[in-house]
Amino acid sequence: MTETEAFRRQLPPPLAPRPLNLPEQSVATLANGLGLVVVEDKRLPLVSFRLAFRAGDANDPQSLPGLSDMMSHLLTEGTTTRTSRQIAEEVERFGATLAVGSSSDFSTVAASTLSVYADEILNLMADVTLAASFPQNEIDLARDNTKQLLIQQRAQPNFLASERMSQVMFGRHPYSRLSPTPETLDAMTRDNLSKFRASTYIPNNAVLMVVGDVERAVVVERIEELFGDWQPGTLPDQNFPAPPKRSARAIYVVDRPGSAQSNIVIANEGITRTSADYFPMLLMHTILGANASSRLFMNLREEKGYTYGAYSNVDARRLAGTFRATAEVRTPVTGASLHEFFYELNRIRDEAVSADELKNAKAYLSGVFPIRIETQDGLIDQLVSIRMYDLPSDYLRTYRDRINAVSAEDIQRVAQKYVRPNEAAVVIVGDAEEISAQVKPYSDTIEIYDTEGRKKNA
Amino acid sequence: MQKTFQVPHTPIEQFSLSNGLRVVLNEDHSVPVVSVALYYDVGSRNERKGRTGFAHLFEHMMFQGSENVPKAAHFQYISNAGGTMNGTTSSERTNYFETLPANQLPLALWLESDRMRSLSVTQENLDNQRSAVQEEKRLRYDNQPYVNGFLRLFEMCFQNHANAHSTIGSMEDLDAATVDDIREFFRIYYAPNNAVLSVAGDFDQAETRRLIEKYFATIPSHPEPPPVDVSEPAEVGTKRDTFLDKLAPVPAFALGWKIPERRSPEFYSLSLASHLLFEGESARLYQKLVKGEESVVQIQGGIDERRGPSGLFIVVIPKPEHDCSQIRDAILTEIRELATQGPSDEEMEKLRNNLLNSSVRSRQSSLYRAQQLAEFALYDNDPELFNTDLDNYLKITAAQIRDSVVRHLDTDNRVLLEIVPAPEEAAPAAPLEAGVPGQSTAPPPQVPITPDEAAQAGPLPAQPQAEPAVEST
Repeated sequence: MTETEAFRRQLPPPLAPRPLNLPEQSVATLANGLGLVVVEDKRLPLVSFRLAFRAGDANDPQSLPGLSDMMSHLLTEGTTTRTSRQIAEEVERFGATLAVGSSSDFSTVAASTLSVYADEILNLMADVTLAASFPQNEIDLARDNTKQLLIQQRAQPNFLASERMSQVMFGRHPYSRLSPTPETLDAMTRDNLSKFRASTYIPNNAVLMVVGDVERAVVVERIEELFGDWQPGTLPDQNFPAPPKRSARAIYVVDRPGSAQSNIVIANEGITRTSADYFPMLLMHTILGANASSRLFMNLREEKGYTYGAYSNVDARRLAGTFRATAEVRTPVTGASLHEFFYELNRIRDEAVSADELKNAKAYLSGVFPIRIETQDGLIDQLVSIRMYDLPSDYLRTYRDRINAVSAEDIQRVAQKYVRPNEAAVVIVGDAEEISAQVKPYSDTIEIYDTEGRKKNA
Repeated sequence: MQKTFQVPHTPIEQFSLSNGLRVVLNEDHSVPVVSVALYYDVGSRNERKGRTGFAHLFEHMMFQGSENVPKAAHFQYISNAGGTMNGTTSSERTNYFETLPANQLPLALWLESDRMRSLSVTQENLDNQRSAVQEEKRLRYDNQPYVNGFLRLFEMCFQNHANAHSTIGSMEDLDAATVDDIREFFRIYYAPNNAVLSVAGDFDQAETRRLIEKYFATIPSHPEPPPVDVSEPAEVGTKRDTFLDKLAPVPAFALGWKIPERRSPEFYSLSLASHLLFEGESARLYQKLVKGEESVVQIQGGIDERRGPSGLFIVVIPKPEHDCSQIRDAILTEIRELATQGPSDEEMEKLRNNLLNSSVRSRQSSLYRAQQLAEFALYDNDPELFNTDLDNYLKITAAQIRDSVVRHLDTDNRVLLEIVPAPEEAAPAAPLEAGVPGQSTAPPPQVPITPDEAAQAGPLPAQPQAEPAVEST
């Protein structure tokens, strides 16, 4: 090898920074309450649409978990003028995409297309949103297929971990329910689907976002033509039972005999998306477990070799949230992994983060910000988030300032408030026989469940 | 309905350094970010028996430090600069990439050049990364339903060991890897003359060329690596097999075919044929089986694109009480139909618009551009294909699609693998050998259940961004 040049011996300095020009948003509201956001972007002949509703899985009727999901699916399975097949063929003949989905807090009709077909796709969006007909044969097929997918879900360790964690952390709050059951699927009818659509898909609880190669005036006029007659309605109720408060650590094992790994999830009550603690939490999470340079990864993987990856997660939703630490670890080191997790969770509480860690975390969040809005999908997802959670309209412009304003004291304060290993819920999906001796030292309360979600006798 | 359209041209500069490093640049000032990709011409195709999983294990080692970069500092430096990074290994190549704020380009070039010239290989690093890779194998394969079954599918299709074995490798071979093996691998394959460097994004041409010369020009070339034989007889290996899967909740089956290598005339036609058969909800097999006969929970397919003989796969999860052989007959009938009648005019229009949409949409990402440019440079020595290869797809006729299906899909020369839930046994996961049923795991429902052989993920799982992803719909 040739002799090492001096310049290789240290980090090179950066070049001159290049400015980020945030795209301009044009905002309006139709007479029926439908919000509009248009961002003109002519770089490529492409358009992306999102019609987002501030109603999601949490709004499912008490007796019908999964209704929102089912409704989302059925929206593209038939309208008053088009069959399921016609919709699929039309969308795909344009080379476009059209999909409807729901999360806990909101539902979205999402489409993307070459700009030459923007009008056709907007037409289709209006059709599925306003004129979905829920054909009986499609309901029956969807019901059958979903029952099969439920069986598949139960073979998936991370689903089992999420299911148990949601039950434990959210209790009677609707965030606790991840899936329908065969019984609730059987109870879904054309009638209750239509009623649910009428009560949740209302323009005054929705925002239509357009990003791409459009003329603002033209697209707004077309939206008014297609969506202007859509009648407003009553906003859905958001009063739900509060999640339970935790007072002690407990371990919940989902027994998966023969499991080659243990899926570990450790959680405490967290924040809502609009909490004043959001940015300090983000910084804390970046240092603790956001990526491969974070403490959990460096410890459990780079140092110990227990796992392919260990991370933390700020699960901050509209009404409630959790803060989680997760890893999938080799079965024989399940106990040792818990030891390291608790070491890190206590450390971030007990010691202020160093000045270097704080500086680096800020640099990371600031730096990746433009990467996340590089594409239309990235930008429009941010716009959806901002409008659905009613974040300030200058959120993108002030994001980096808010990041940089967080102090080490702020981080330690939120760590002590939300990272509470002595009160945590610990969910482990793994081979109960192999791990029970390993996990025993970590809690007085250990519950065991089977993969169907039923509690087993100790 | 058809409207005229032009995919915007991507400007490309290319040159080589005197040590053989090929360089491709795409300057674009849309967003102040830059993506850097390094592609090395080594993949699982280069692995010999007893050393499977090496290319991927080596990829992990590349993040463990070099002469001027401490262990795992690569992750730190990139994150602290506000960037993202990863690497992947496939049968064909190993790639490394990062996306950073535009002004951090020197950092990427420094890191990539230092590990190209002076990777540190120690027993401790090897042991640690071997553990990480073994956990990756457990996470993605051994602890999941169906996935190990798909590895069996490749073994059945391909007769040449170079093509048949998995990129993740076997636990035994991973355990057997020594520090000397790793050093030898580095010496043979990790050389500038065996690599392509591509940069896409917001940079200044002249300044970037100077930086590339500065960091890479003094890295010496190595002798050309030994050639690899990926030839295959036309016939598949094992036509039919059963795989016992302890984690599969219900049975599944997969069909597999060999198809000609990437960029051959028939590869283009078969790509389009596969789109008509199983991509999207208007696809023939989806409409026939999921919507029409309602006999199938999921049907997915894919093409494993290689420089040598490639593969085409269809994977099915049938519904209970539906006869698997009837479902297979329905699939073969649809293939026969496509072989006889060929695509309709509407289907040709669909293909065209889908190609255009994909081309335009993917070009938004500087990382995608950097990766595709590097791939065309590495495999074809022609990065301009990024702009011109689309025409090779667009000019394919209905007759060509039909004929490619006649020759390569409507044929007995195919494999059938049935994945059957095994009763609870004590036996641990065993290495797979021809004809021996092994273990595998069930696939997650909404995740594509086609084998992820195309790109074995690198050191990092695809992680959600720093900011908790707003739950996506």
